[in-house]
Amino acid sequence: MTDTITTASAATEPQHCVYDAKDFASGAHPVWCPGCGDFGVLAGLERALAKYGRGPHEVVLVSGIGCSSRLPGYMSTYGFHGVHGRALAAGTGLKLARPDLEVIVVGGDGDGYSIGGNHFIHTCRRNPDMLYVVMDNRVYGMTKGQPSPTTEPDWDSDIAPGGIGLRPFNPLAVAIAAGANYVARGFSGDPNGLAELIVDGLKWPGFAFIEVLSPCITFRPEQRDWKKMVRPSTLSVEQDRAAATALVLADDGFSLGVLYRGDRASIAPALPTETTMGDVEREFAP
Amino acid sequence: MSRRSIAVVFAGSGGSGAMTAGAVFLRAAARAGYFGMMTQLFGAQVRGGESASLVQIGVDPIEAQPDRFDAFVALDWDKVEQFAAEIPLDDTSLIIADPASGPVPPGIAKAKGRVVSLAMTGAGESKLDRALLGKRVNMFAAGCLAALCGLPEQHIAGAVEAAFGSKGQDVAAANTARALAGAQAAPALALDLKLAPPRHNERWLISGNQAVALGALRGGVRFVGCYPITPATDLVEWLAPHLIKLGGRLVLGEDELASINLALGASYGGVPAMTVTSGPGFSLMVESLGLAIAAEIPLVLVDVMRAGPSTGIASKTEQSDVNLAIYGAHGDAPRVVLAPLSVADCAATTEYAVYVTESLQVPVIVLSDQMLGQATAVVDPVSDRPAPLKRKINGAGASQPFKRYATSGDAITPMPLPGTPDHEWVAEGLTHNEAGLPASGAAMHAAQIHKRARKIREFDAGERWGEVTGEGDTAILAFGSTVGPAREAARRLAEAGRQVRVIALRLLAPLPVKQLAQALTGVRRIVVIEQNDTGQLYRHLLGNKAVPVDAESVARPGPLPFRPSEIVNYVA
Repeated sequence: MTDTITTASAATEPQHCVYDAKDFASGAHPVWCPGCGDFGVLAGLERALAKYGRGPHEVVLVSGIGCSSRLPGYMSTYGFHGVHGRALAAGTGLKLARPDLEVIVVGGDGDGYSIGGNHFIHTCRRNPDMLYVVMDNRVYGMTKGQPSPTTEPDWDSDIAPGGIGLRPFNPLAVAIAAGANYVARGFSGDPNGLAELIVDGLKWPGFAFIEVLSPCITFRPEQRDWKKMVRPSTLSVEQDRAAATALVLADDGFSLGVLYRGDRASIAPALPTETTMGDVEREFAP
Repeated sequence: MSRRSIAVVFAGSGGSGAMTAGAVFLRAAARAGYFGMMTQLFGAQVRGGESASLVQIGVDPIEAQPDRFDAFVALDWDKVEQFAAEIPLDDTSLIIADPASGPVPPGIAKAKGRVVSLAMTGAGESKLDRALLGKRVNMFAAGCLAALCGLPEQHIAGAVEAAFGSKGQDVAAANTARALAGAQAAPALALDLKLAPPRHNERWLISGNQAVALGALRGGVRFVGCYPITPATDLVEWLAPHLIKLGGRLVLGEDELASINLALGASYGGVPAMTVTSGPGFSLMVESLGLAIAAEIPLVLVDVMRAGPSTGIASKTEQSDVNLAIYGAHGDAPRVVLAPLSVADCAATTEYAVYVTESLQVPVIVLSDQMLGQATAVVDPVSDRPAPLKRKINGAGASQPFKRYATSGDAITPMPLPGTPDHEWVAEGLTHNEAGLPASGAAMHAAQIHKRARKIREFDAGERWGEVTGEGDTAILAFGSTVGPAREAARRLAEAGRQVRVIALRLLAPLPVKQLAQALTGVRRIVVIEQNDTGQLYRHLLGNKAVPVDAESVARPGPLPFRPSEIVNYVA
């Protein structure tokens, strides 16, 4: 009798494994340029997941196309490297089908805000319980330097001489307006600070969006100065949607930290089975 | 003399209830033991436009549009004339109308059918009742026609109650009363439309779109990503509540790009998944279809074809997505394409599609069309259940790192479910090596292309490749909604002493070349029939050397369905 109970409780007891950041590295060599901000994001993710405590097999990294979207191949977790712009849709489908998994969608500003912009809005609106990390370097890097939705209007490039002339997209304001539950900004130059945000975002229910300033030193060498420009956000407006919106609209884009936390419900989970195929087929009787 | 079948049209302006009349007439026939099929015509309006229901009922299964209609029942004459081209009538057709609706319009009268006067509004009803409850001309007409065909009143009443039961007892009773009043008015018309006695058996009343959904559920699909599009929307509208009750879920995507990727994400997670669309949506999905092929992720993609290209004719049929289904995608991207042979076969073909995609890890396209999808038919219950095939998920004993895309050995390699320790892998749309990491070398590129090609080449659909009916040295080759009219044409030719073989092709890609060769043994003349202008299937058959160069192509665009007489005239 006692034996039976012992066995049963041992089987249901969660296994306590201790992970190290390097347990989450695949060992593959990144295609990124030396000095790319994305190395810092990779380090931040590895450290965050080690701290978070779920094993590589329980995590799926989902991405689209672009330099930063190569990240799933550099981690030892499960991964889904899909087509350009559609990572959030694939990640949402996966999370809804498999709520037991930890789903993290990663990508860049072109992938997430331009070709995938519609999915960004509607994923915020659905608010699935998953994390989205955007490595924003305000440029299309893989295609060698075209302006993205977050590029400054006067940034000169071959494809837009003299600048694109458009006001940059404000992803944080859009995320808050569209219904994301957690909105934060991190910096790739501070992997530890970023790791804390990632753990926090993973724990917060609903859709957590972390915009990471991740310099492209190849096509935007001036972004090296970002390390001097970033600073922790001084205002605490986390729970106030209107105040958080005002903050991210007025901000120069270099305030770091959690900028908004909401408590909106996620898209509803699947329901328990309550019918049989036999019952379904009986409906076809005339 | 009693008839084997009868074809009736109910037509009227918006709000006249032409669709409900057809549905009740068909259901009454089904309850009485007859087979039948109903298709629908709509004006272009979103709501309240004129419409017509085209119903044929009979002693034997019905899988084709009739050549002509025995009766045209006008609930009123408002704008109904526009359907004239799609409703063949002749001088033996009956034009049944209420004289109060005015004269028969020229477009309908020109067929010179016999005009039968029938007062359809209830004389005994007060004006207040009519204002509150409507005139229910449609129920009167349905009841009258049903009685003319010899359908018992109990089945007429039962059909009305089934149609209106959910709207409350008062509504059901008022409609039943009008339908029975119509039935009682039938004898005075002195028309002989009586059907021969039916064979009573258990039957299903089901549309092609519902049958696809049923097949998907039977096969185990428990996740659907979709976006509204005519004529596929009613498929997912029927599916949604049933899928939810079976513990699955349907996510309405923000567009078709999201829909297919929602489904691919779920499928990667191990849940059999499907997306449902029509031509324009399918075009948007094509890039991600390529991803599913490259990354080897199972997916059922249902295309309920409509007239194209571009927006085309949203509510009307055509078989013009053959090229897109078989070849659509950049790069070498082989996949499986299946086309149901009838309304009932939509169930078994879709269930089979789920099994094939799960076992091959390659997307399977179910190529239905508006004519099949939105036809409602009385059929024998679909007992045909393909043998289940499972996804290979056990990667035990594999080397480290786990080689998800191993190229030696079986072309179908294990895809462990996320959550399985020590088998982590990345679903990769870039050309990848065996471990799933990006690789751009020529040798690995060719090796992965060949691995995927081998899965398709080694796939054997067995008996499910298609169906051959009839004998003779002339063969009609057809797929989808043209199979029904082709078979009806062959039946008539056989009656006239001319034996014709019908080869109904279910597996469009990869072409079952061996099985086709066997089916064509002894055939001297081949006629490939399809509803598109460029002969898309014909060229596919020629390109695969599945038919000889002297095979004939009968290819014309939709949306008018092939009628048996059209095929008889060509072949004879």
